[in-house]
Amino acid sequence: MKESWISLPTIYMPMVGVPILLFAYTLSVLAGLHSIDRILLDLSMVGLLVFGVSGFRDVYIKHWKGKRTKLRPAVVLNKENQENAGKADAGARTVKFNVKRFNPDTQRLEESIYNVETDAFSNVLDGLLKIKTKTDPTLSMRYSCRMGICGSCGMVINDKPSLACETNVWENIKDEKITVAPMLGHPLLKDLVTDFDDFFEKHLFVNPYLFRNDLGEKYHPTQQYNQTKEQLDKFLPFSDCIMCGLCLDACPVVNTNQEFIGPQALSQAYRYYADSRDEAGKARLDHIDLLKGVWGCEFAASCSDVCPKGVDPAFAIQLLKTEIIKNDLIKSKESKS
Amino acid sequence: METLDFDLIILGSGIAGLTAAIHTTNASKGNVKIAVITKLHAMRSHSVSAEGGISGVLYPDETRDSTELHAYDTIKGSDYLADQDAVEMLVKNAPTEVRFFDHIGVSWNRDDKSHIQQRAFGGMSIPRTAFAADKTGFFMMRALYDEVSSMKNISIFHEHFAYGLLMDRNRFVGLSVIDLATGSSNIFKAKTAIIATGGASRLYSFTTTAHSTTGDGIALVYKAGLPLKDMEFVQFHPTALVPNGILITEAARGEGGYLLNSKGERFMEKYAKSKMELAPRDIVSRAIITEIKSGNGFKHEESGLGYINLDLRHLGEKMINERLPMIKEIAQKSINLDPIKDLLPVRPAAHFTMGGINTDTFGRVLVDENKTPASGLWAIGECGCVSVHGSNRLGSNSLSQCSVWGRIAGNAVAKYLEINKSSVSVSKEVAASEERKILDLFNRKGSTNPYFVKSELQKTMDENLYVYRNREDMMKARRRIADLKEAFKDVYVQDKGKIFNTNLRDVLEIENLLELAEAVTICAINRKESRGAHAVVEYPNRDDVSWLKHTIIYRTARGTGISYAPVKITNWKPEPRVY
Repeated sequence: MKESWISLPTIYMPMVGVPILLFAYTLSVLAGLHSIDRILLDLSMVGLLVFGVSGFRDVYIKHWKGKRTKLRPAVVLNKENQENAGKADAGARTVKFNVKRFNPDTQRLEESIYNVETDAFSNVLDGLLKIKTKTDPTLSMRYSCRMGICGSCGMVINDKPSLACETNVWENIKDEKITVAPMLGHPLLKDLVTDFDDFFEKHLFVNPYLFRNDLGEKYHPTQQYNQTKEQLDKFLPFSDCIMCGLCLDACPVVNTNQEFIGPQALSQAYRYYADSRDEAGKARLDHIDLLKGVWGCEFAASCSDVCPKGVDPAFAIQLLKTEIIKNDLIKSKESKS
Repeated sequence: METLDFDLIILGSGIAGLTAAIHTTNASKGNVKIAVITKLHAMRSHSVSAEGGISGVLYPDETRDSTELHAYDTIKGSDYLADQDAVEMLVKNAPTEVRFFDHIGVSWNRDDKSHIQQRAFGGMSIPRTAFAADKTGFFMMRALYDEVSSMKNISIFHEHFAYGLLMDRNRFVGLSVIDLATGSSNIFKAKTAIIATGGASRLYSFTTTAHSTTGDGIALVYKAGLPLKDMEFVQFHPTALVPNGILITEAARGEGGYLLNSKGERFMEKYAKSKMELAPRDIVSRAIITEIKSGNGFKHEESGLGYINLDLRHLGEKMINERLPMIKEIAQKSINLDPIKDLLPVRPAAHFTMGGINTDTFGRVLVDENKTPASGLWAIGECGCVSVHGSNRLGSNSLSQCSVWGRIAGNAVAKYLEINKSSVSVSKEVAASEERKILDLFNRKGSTNPYFVKSELQKTMDENLYVYRNREDMMKARRRIADLKEAFKDVYVQDKGKIFNTNLRDVLEIENLLELAEAVTICAINRKESRGAHAVVEYPNRDDVSWLKHTIIYRTARGTGISYAPVKITNWKPEPRVY
């Protein structure tokens, strides 16, 4: 069966989560009974949790439990068997790379085909660097840390938005080749390099920093802010965002409506909202209670599927929606009494 | 060619650079106009790869720790080459910085009392390394980038590569910078600059550091005729994953991991009986190489590299998931091994540049060996040599160094600008000649592939200036580097496009690497003793009578010059270094 990157979470979430959420939302508005809307909200939270976990499970399985290349057994060093760094190994193998390059002069994608020597440990970034240093120095791509933490090398590999440095070549050969293309969800600059200006603007839109009133203590600290493990766990899963831009590339809404600020920024809005040290409070919710904010999300959840760090932005957005509804209910309750 | 005008240029957007930006802003109440120039996107600097944590004495009453003890550990770790007044500044200010990062959002691991947890690290007497899982650098960088983005006086110039340092005698006036997105080169002029471009571990091919760590800031200063200090001291981190060199944090051993040779022995017993796996990095690296050379290692067949094993299996799944999740992820994704179940193959890799731009204890760049500072120019973080690390840095002291001197330099710039208000100028001739440099590179007709020069250079350094050095190898390296410098004159930029031309950027980086490789080699040849990370086979002992001094290297019209500067000793007299 051909595997698609729009996979299980995409099905779970709209089918289970959206109905629950809408049901809760409609009824709680209609009812006006505070005890009931409380229950409904809790129910919706349970719903969210269930598919959030199931979605995460899918991502986990795809990232960790896939078929992996077999390793060779350990070989002991001795007098006859010395180190010989840099000597090519008999296990090397040539793989075809089809690279779709954006040509800034013609404004078109043009395909170049390269043969690249790889071994069992080569990732797609290694392959591209080999092309650049040995065959074609004009090839441009972003890269830096090569350990999946700087977020530079996001690109589309075999039709799936991925980090090149985390994608093993041998495990991802399809139809006897590796296909590499730039992320089309971002404006293109050259070859595999895309323009991140809009992406950074969207990130900044949610005021992504801790808001504090005690500026004296902030800049001249004397003690830590207290934070329990439980408080830490509330935002920790969402603080792993490396700003690689893959989620925006995968998001069907961003791709059709550039106004939508998208999964990356919204997940960061939740990250700061959920941090017990933040003093911005409900203002953060009002700021994104917009059609181009949380309500733009149609819950395709492809963002969570492609996120290389398991951040689950789709879940963060639904949590934000819940918080906003809860907040509205509290407000309406207060205005009635 | 345009000229842009600022009060302060910060070159480099890692932990040191961004911390300085924040503190300059705060100290000047937002009145200093700052340009942060970085060759990457600002949040992608190599600081994100720092794993294990940041050192600082946080709860002295509960842990019986003290800043004196932290200083002593650091100085002993440095093999007594650290300047002790600088170390005192480090240990005194480090706790404040850990708390500052708490205040801007770093998710420190906490204990049940909601205190910041601390873990053991190599060469430290007491666990004093605060950590956010094993992604400490990443969380610090994200918090800094987010904090900086809230400040209206700071403009970030992503993907701008600085290729010329412009000085008016001893005064900083500006930088020539190429914008990668458009290919246009511009002059950034400013009254002050803070260089914070990090280290040069990409001198080696087997390294823990990012592709971007090419020491550009150090080379800029060196090419402008200003001196560098202690360049022979390159730190090799004992546990880099084979075959890709990715860092397996020292915290893995801090949490209790073992190093095992091919006989299954915890061989560190032979080399550092009391500290075992938690001896300082230079000692552990030498132990590993000694084991491999004496036939007690393994061979990695695909890469041909020798290695020994890191055993974390007994730490258990819970501990690894909670405190070392990233190295688990990396081992699984990159070499298909799970530290919960498998042994990890590791060997020493280039990791940190202890030497760097010669600065005083306040981070001001010195124009000579005699404490004469340049006006308006600072160098902080890994690219500067204060020197707090001497000949061997202790793990987790680098993040404290970056943040402590980020604050010191940031505040100093704000003060400097209150007094020095006159603007600087860059003449039209200088601007034109800077622009010509790039045009010349483009138009040059050569036949040598720059990447061939780079890989040959890295091979030379890997083979000849690794953990153990000998005179013959070092002399060979020096000759080879001279040949490569000659070959570099014939390199060509094949990509003639203006937009995002990484071929051009790479050529500029390789030029920098060649300069620094030469400096490292010359400094290493001249130091006739073994101290910290510089272990020479012919001179196996430390020699405090002749060599308790910093190497200063500078470029003159007639080649390179070497001189020496004294080490500042305050309270801790050199003694034999036994662990």
